[in-house]
Amino acid sequence: MAPLTPAIGVWGLVTGVAMVNAGLTVPIALLVTFTVYAGSAQLATLPLLAAGAPLPVVWVTALLVNLRFVIFAAASRKAFVRLPLRQRLVAGYLNGDLGFALFSRRFGDVGEHGTPEQFGYFYGCAGINWLAWQVASVAGILLGNLAPTDWGLDLGAVLALVAVIIPMAQRFPAVAGVVVTVVCSVLTVGMPMRLGLLVSVLAGVGVAVAAEAWREPRTAAPPAGRGAFAEGQR
Amino acid sequence: MAPLHDWAYLVTAVAGLTVVTVLTRGSFFMLPASVSLPERVERALRYAPACALAAIVTPTVLTRDHHLYLAWDNYQLWAVLAATGVFLLRRNMLVMMVVGMAVFTALRLLG
Repeated sequence: MAPLTPAIGVWGLVTGVAMVNAGLTVPIALLVTFTVYAGSAQLATLPLLAAGAPLPVVWVTALLVNLRFVIFAAASRKAFVRLPLRQRLVAGYLNGDLGFALFSRRFGDVGEHGTPEQFGYFYGCAGINWLAWQVASVAGILLGNLAPTDWGLDLGAVLALVAVIIPMAQRFPAVAGVVVTVVCSVLTVGMPMRLGLLVSVLAGVGVAVAAEAWREPRTAAPPAGRGAFAEGQR
Repeated sequence: MAPLHDWAYLVTAVAGLTVVTVLTRGSFFMLPASVSLPERVERALRYAPACALAAIVTPTVLTRDHHLYLAWDNYQLWAVLAATGVFLLRRNMLVMMVVGMAVFTALRLLG
């Protein structure tokens, strides 16, 4: 976990700077970082908030970006299902990309689930992740507030998202899906209420699923978190 | 810039975004053990995040005023292409961001 802390720090810093540079005031940016706690969704919804997009579009976009967490939750639930409701909520809230990747790498194949060792490891990683993320985000928010906006720091948000997309799109179906999404996004950019975004995502996902069925008809899906997302951050 | 000072809009948006985080991350921790994720659904879910992020980035980088914008003075585009190349080679987010920023700044100052 410790060697990964600088990576979390960079990512948090970029997100903090990007939020302020997009025009969020410092109190709102702080509110976002302490509540939403999902970097890609925060960065992805920024341009929508800046444009005053309808709230359902903002929320559905975050939902799409966060759908990977549904897979993470399904893959790591065995360790957590017997906990009381409130603890399950907390564990779920903390089950981000990095924590999940480390946890499933270490305990993915064990026979016994929900041991004290597993909880210690999970909450240890989650705590370090949370702290590093929040410290870096707050620093980014305060720094971004000082820097002039024409330095191209909002480009940082775009670059950070590209760095998230690339590790997710390593195999043919995902690459095909992303390419189709990009083309559709250009074609549908004029649609009202940013609906082009949803249309493009549906087209991209459809093509990716079809490409997988065509190219890799009988290959079993790799365990979630080890393939597509292992390198991705949040 | 008006919407960004609309507190009611922003606070409602943030509240909804927090609910989305909790619902997605906690989804299968909350559901009864008998409910599982069908493989077909998982396949589709696996591709949605990358596509959603691509759909967000594309209009910023590739369009202006609702039209394709492939021009020499689209500095963001060249910066993103350079940064993508660096990331594919080095797999280092910090290096790729520094290169992207540097290309953007150089083009802006020279262009």
